[in-house]
Amino acid sequence: MESSIKSGRGRKYTNGEITVYWKPESCIHASYCYRELIEVFDPSRRPWVDMYGATTAEIIRTVNMCPTDALTWKWNDEEKNRDVDPSHTNHVNFRRPELLKDETEAQSEPVSVRVMPQGPLIISGTFTLKYDNKIKEVEESAVSLCRCGASSRMPFCDGNHRKSDFKDD
Amino acid sequence: MEEKKARLKPQAEIEVIPEGPIRIKGNIILSDVRRDIFESPEGEIYLCRCGRSKNKPYCDGSHEK
Ligand code: FES
Ligand code: FES
Repeated sequence: MESSIKSGRGRKYTNGEITVYWKPESCIHASYCYRELIEVFDPSRRPWVDMYGATTAEIIRTVNMCPTDALTWKWNDEEKNRDVDPSHTNHVNFRRPELLKDETEAQSEPVSVRVMPQGPLIISGTFTLKYDNKIKEVEESAVSLCRCGASSRMPFCDGNHRKSDFKDD
Repeated sequence: MEEKKARLKPQAEIEVIPEGPIRIKGNIILSDVRRDIFESPEGEIYLCRCGRSKNKPYCDGSHEK
């Protein structure tokens, strides 16, 4: 994969049973995750982790293959995290014990901000949007904001970027 | 499987600054295939929406000219 993954806080994803943590700065692109389980780990999709793409057992098996602490996991039921078999190499007990205390939230999917070539900015997820003294709560949905400066529906894209000679370089 | 909560917590704050850029802060993944960007920025970022920045996708102040 060509994409550079830069530092940031860790991300977490849950299916209600387990939570998978992603620490992008630790990723060495060994690519086990998407070679083994593209249904869950798809770097070309946003968000790139879909916790409902496979069974919990398959996700655990794949996360344990990650050679670094870029991907780790734990049970949401804290009781089960007490005594974990060391064959689960990427359980947070062994790789990132600081995460054991972390309480799982129901949803913490990051907002995806995509810069479209020669086009708008597509923002999707759950976020607040402030514009023209208004505040809009966007919940699991998307907006498309103009980047070219030529929309007549500012701040939203109205397709005018195709007519204007927007140079996206 | 857990039921999805009716109201989710906003993960980021997006602000369209009048006559200025788009300010973004929070739990986000910024991607730009053209410039090979795929990252989770710390702190806030300012993205150009005037079309004139020389440092796209970021604002470089060119909107003022
Ligand atoms: S980016 Fe579509 S109208 Fe400006
Ligand atoms: S918005 Fe600042 S340079 Fe375009």
